[in-house]
Amino acid sequence: MRNFKTSRFYGYFILAAMVLIFYAIFKFLTPTNFGSPANLFSYFQSSIIYSVGGCGLYFIVVMGLFDFAVGANIVLSSIVGVILSEKLGYAGFIIGCLGCGTLIGILIGFLYNRLTVPSMIVTVGLMLIFESLAVFVAGGVKQTLAPELRFFSGAPGNIILAALAFALMWFILNYTKIGTYCNAIGSNEFTAKNMGIDVKKYKLIGFALLHFFVGIMAILTVSYGTTMTALTGMSTMSRNFQPLMGTFFGVAFRKYGTPISAIVIGEFIIAIIFNGFVALGAPTTIQNVVTGAALLIIVTLTARGKRGSVVK
Amino acid sequence: MSDEKILLKSENIDKRFGITHAVDNVSINIDRGEIRALIGENGSGKSTFCQMLCGIYTLGGGRFILDGQEMHIRNQVEANNLGVSIIVQEMGTLSGLTVAENIFLGHEDPFMHRGIKDTGAMVKEAQRLLNEYGFNNIMAGSMIDNYNFEDRKLIEIVKATYMKPKILIVDETTTALSQNGRLELYKIMDAVRADGRSVIFISHDLAEVLEHCDTISILRDGEYIDTVNSKDVNEDDLKRLMVGREIGSAYYRTDYGKVISDEVVLSVKNVTVPGQIEDVNFDLHKGEILGFGGLSECGMHEIGKAVFGASWDRSGNVTLSDGTEINDIPSAIKHSIAYASKDRDNESIILNESIKNNIVLPSLDDLAEKHILKGGKLKKFAQEFADKMQTKMQGINQFVSDLSGGNKQKVVLARWLGKGSDILVLDSPTRGIDVKVKQAIYALMSELTAQGKSIIMISEEIPELLGMSDRILIMKDGKINGSFMRSETLNEEDLIAKMV
Repeated sequence: MRNFKTSRFYGYFILAAMVLIFYAIFKFLTPTNFGSPANLFSYFQSSIIYSVGGCGLYFIVVMGLFDFAVGANIVLSSIVGVILSEKLGYAGFIIGCLGCGTLIGILIGFLYNRLTVPSMIVTVGLMLIFESLAVFVAGGVKQTLAPELRFFSGAPGNIILAALAFALMWFILNYTKIGTYCNAIGSNEFTAKNMGIDVKKYKLIGFALLHFFVGIMAILTVSYGTTMTALTGMSTMSRNFQPLMGTFFGVAFRKYGTPISAIVIGEFIIAIIFNGFVALGAPTTIQNVVTGAALLIIVTLTARGKRGSVVK
Repeated sequence: MSDEKILLKSENIDKRFGITHAVDNVSINIDRGEIRALIGENGSGKSTFCQMLCGIYTLGGGRFILDGQEMHIRNQVEANNLGVSIIVQEMGTLSGLTVAENIFLGHEDPFMHRGIKDTGAMVKEAQRLLNEYGFNNIMAGSMIDNYNFEDRKLIEIVKATYMKPKILIVDETTTALSQNGRLELYKIMDAVRADGRSVIFISHDLAEVLEHCDTISILRDGEYIDTVNSKDVNEDDLKRLMVGREIGSAYYRTDYGKVISDEVVLSVKNVTVPGQIEDVNFDLHKGEILGFGGLSECGMHEIGKAVFGASWDRSGNVTLSDGTEINDIPSAIKHSIAYASKDRDNESIILNESIKNNIVLPSLDDLAEKHILKGGKLKKFAQEFADKMQTKMQGINQFVSDLSGGNKQKVVLARWLGKGSDILVLDSPTRGIDVKVKQAIYALMSELTAQGKSIIMISEEIPELLGMSDRILIMKDGKINGSFMRSETLNEEDLIAKMV
């Protein structure tokens, strides 16, 4: 029993049980408006956008780092991608989003290493700069993705791209040194250094990978919404949190060896809750309160360490 | 002595931490195929010496020459590659990784093909190694977090030795192992020696040193003192060399027949912590040292936590003589109970804080005047109790992380002495501590009980239990399995019979 409780099957079991429980609750409360197969597919499609960002964030969160510039990069990369797509079609769109995203990740990682201040401070500062840069690049104009370039706006394009992102994440975690070293740095940076791990290099790689995934998220986001408007005044901040919620699931289920599934299913659970409240006609404020509370409850029940252990 | 015989030459090795001269111009040669003990008091420089040899600390001065080649080491992996491995005293494995990832951390290259890691092959090879060492119960693909401290130590032994290092450093590891684990380690050390390679063995257990080592080098205050053959010396000789004077006969208590007061100061009734201890009952009397012993997983360490209100899911009652129930840590401290954990670095002290702040921590309410803390008063308080414990330090503002194990323990005890606690729960109070500090701690325990204070001493060292306790309770499988009164005729076999 003890072995089962630490196995990946137990992790999947808990995740599946949570999906069923939340689905059953809302289906019971609002049987007609919620939970048809078509609805569920729609919830899933919206959730995978955040799951991709959640996968990226996983690389830095396990190292004990944080990034507030994710939202700003989604906006900036989307705008760069859309502008490039006008001349270069899909190639410009994809290269624009991924290239801009990754370059920003490298810049954040580089500055974090050079400035040696907490990642939270570095990324808040850069978020403000990236927001302004996005306004400048967009020329103050809303950017619209051309209709003929919207393969990723819905199935199967969005699912294929997200699946590729998840596969890439799985590959990196299991078949490269990066996954091992990110976990090692998060566990004990001093020991990791003594094991010959170039901690600064892997932190930079972590940020670069995060923002490569943010680049993918930008492709999916602007394809789904078809337009992107650059805004300043920390308005991109709210875009940071939904991917982060998935990352929390991933970190929580790391002990079962199922972080990617946890991110994907965790985001799906959040989408079920959110859409369940929409179906109930609950005001947005209530939806946010309950979604936040649900996240806390789920992570508390599944992710917390041993009772009495130190949590920071 | 011919150069071919020498495996490691260390010439004028030197290291300073601020004004502390941790290793002072030490030159030691290690021969091929020998087990060399490195002994000395806490703070004598033996761990620092070894940590320079294996790349954890940078070399302050001098040079190491291994197999005729001068070593230039920047980190542990480089040391491993040159043929030096270490098993450290505290936790040396990393959470969040699998067992296999831990074993091959920093050495993944044999499993990498064009940047892609062959995880399956890595797990398979790790499992093969674990099986070869006889640790078949450990699964290479499992997260290391699923294993306890001792299993993780065994994994660390595999990690440190599978590459067949020329020099294996074993730094105070045996205190973390059960008897079986120790036997496994001794076997591995013997195999290293038989293979013409060498072991540097650090331990405070002099009987263990004499039994398993060929030669013994002694350091004192960072300086090299002497190297002796094990067969030519006894424990008293070693103590004298370590401390620089004769250690008197008052190492353990010598009194027998002491009458224990009838006054019960703490009563433990039907205490259960699921999976740890079951239905434990005992009384602690005024002025008594009550010893708890057993095998490492017998539940005795949980007794300390349960009494201190630090166990989760505890049922049953821990009650003081005035009827006060102890159910949490704040009420335990408030009612004069102190606790020193076995896991000193993680549970007893705040490493990245000063000695002063560690000592005053539980006494802040007592030291505050109308809720205002005055720096001078805190300083005076900390200085008084640090001095009382004869803590070897640069000053009370020194960070605890810079102190040796024994001096860290002195800070823990100074804290509770300052608090004036009447009941002290000391879990493994002399773990990893040298003979001189041990003697001081035993003397302090006797002094405290003479003042009417009571002590629960949890210990994995049978001689310590026999030497210091008024009464000994032996735990087995979470339950009390035997009770013994202090007696001259009581011996190790009596206790072991109840442990296994």
